[in-house]
Amino acid sequence: MALLEIRHLFKFFGGLAANSDIVCSVESGMIMGLIGPNGSGKTTLFNCITGYYPPTKGEIIFKGQRINGLKPDRVCKLGMARTWQKVRPLAKLSVLENVMVGALARTGSLKVARRAALHQLELMRMENRANSLAGSLSIGERKKLEVARVLATQPELLLLDEVMGGLNPVESEEIIQLILDIKKRGLTQVVIEHDMKAIMRISDRVMVLNSGEKLAEGTPQQVVSNPDVVTAYLGSAHVA
Amino acid sequence: MKTFGRIPLTASGFAALPLLIVAAVVAALFVFPWLVASPYLLHLMILLFLSVAMGESWNVIGGYCGQYSVGHAAYFGVGAYAALMLLQYKHIAPWWGVWVAIAAALIISLLIGTICFRLRGPYFVLASIAVAEIIRLVVLNWKQLTNGAEGILLVDIPPLMLGGRLVTDWLSKTPFYYLGLILALATLLVNYLVQHSKLGYYLQAIREDQDAAHSLGINLSFYKNVALAISALFTALSGVFYGLYIGFIDPASVLGVDLSVQMVLICIIGGIGTNFGPVVGALVLVPLSEALRANLLSKFLFSIGVVQETSRVGGFLKENLAHAHVLIYGILVVVVILFMPDGVLGFGKKLIARRARPLSATPTPLVGGLDGSA
Repeated sequence: MALLEIRHLFKFFGGLAANSDIVCSVESGMIMGLIGPNGSGKTTLFNCITGYYPPTKGEIIFKGQRINGLKPDRVCKLGMARTWQKVRPLAKLSVLENVMVGALARTGSLKVARRAALHQLELMRMENRANSLAGSLSIGERKKLEVARVLATQPELLLLDEVMGGLNPVESEEIIQLILDIKKRGLTQVVIEHDMKAIMRISDRVMVLNSGEKLAEGTPQQVVSNPDVVTAYLGSAHVA
Repeated sequence: MKTFGRIPLTASGFAALPLLIVAAVVAALFVFPWLVASPYLLHLMILLFLSVAMGESWNVIGGYCGQYSVGHAAYFGVGAYAALMLLQYKHIAPWWGVWVAIAAALIISLLIGTICFRLRGPYFVLASIAVAEIIRLVVLNWKQLTNGAEGILLVDIPPLMLGGRLVTDWLSKTPFYYLGLILALATLLVNYLVQHSKLGYYLQAIREDQDAAHSLGINLSFYKNVALAISALFTALSGVFYGLYIGFIDPASVLGVDLSVQMVLICIIGGIGTNFGPVVGALVLVPLSEALRANLLSKFLFSIGVVQETSRVGGFLKENLAHAHVLIYGILVVVVILFMPDGVLGFGKKLIARRARPLSATPTPLVGGLDGSA
């Protein structure tokens, strides 16, 4: 059974269909790449899945349970976590405390949470920054902190919204390794990314959105050779 | 792992010193009334305790949770009115009435929380003011119940007996001193407990970023309401204490916006969202407002010869400076916000830190991946 299933999801903002008739299913253990031009509805889809927006129509099934209408905190408790395109560090808390807040979703004890958070930071090779204020981190470190924090909530499904955006090649490579590492631990991931090379490398399947609609889905190879996708990305003149 | 050395060190090694200082100060405060006979000094200390209690109470919702309620007079006034009405009209002793006051404040906090926490930022602030004003107007106009604008003048408090022995007859300031001290210490302890618990972490996460907090499994309205309830409870206790000590309450003095603002100011000036910030704020504001009331400022100006008392300017100052309370408060707030965004406490800490470790203390690498962590 698929870990996450989206059935005919629609999201309207007034007359604008930000998501229209999205159908997809994410199997356990896979990495699903989610691509599309700006404004194609990728982040809106994330917001619908994680409970920030109620979908206008359609169903979201997570672990066999219908989750539309659930608040984000309930969704998190069920085992789904998301990062933000624009990072949201808890600026006046330390890096360790940021991750502890995530870990506290699964425990009431600060001691247990602190241990779990330190473990997460070690995996992320960020333990040397544990006492720094989150607001003082560089953008690359903030992106890593974001991932460490959601991993601390012990999710089964991870939704990563452009974790490589704004990073230099060295940092991007580090994130790619991190995503592959997370996959090895058995977690399922949906990854929004603009860097096509990265998406091709990490994804088992890729879904393409364009103006709120699903344009294509398949293996990375199938998707890049799909003429519709090329048109959406490069314009029709390139289709020869 | 060697960098973690800093965590246990700050937890055990350095924490012992402040703890000793706190213990010494508390002990000194407990023997203070035996050493000092001046009723005026005791009165000042009681006002100080009251301000500390109010500030620390507000700090839970405003400081840790970041929800700037400017309507906390509602809980203060409701607490004061509940206890004093029961005492004056029903002859129910305040140590029973206080439970009614707490219950009333908690119910109102739940009502206000359910309505106002739907709003964020400035809209929440406006809603909190509006609700408090509604309560003030109700109390002002419901004359049969509250005696309206005339307020309630407390005749006397029944003597407190415990096991047949008289504990206090409330005739001197000393029982109020100890009551105030215990209240202030209790609110400090509550802040400490909140800060060192899951609740505190969650409240601070909500303060820093509500959406991020929500996505990390934090039930926003639940935790905001818990914080508000704790805050309201101790604000109501402060109100009861105020009513009993001053012996007179009316809508303007216990339900007015200026009282709400004062609670916020104690925290902002001292250091918002810190355990001892409100204490520092109270230490600044209580002496200041007493000095203004007693017109010490103009007396000071006359004595150092800046202004002649007999001159026109001198006469003007003598006449008006005592009423300039709010103006000087305002200037003080502007100065603090401009030059000490973390309050007097944060400013002091920064000064000490700067003196202790010059310059190289906080390295901030520009790019995380290039400093060897990759």
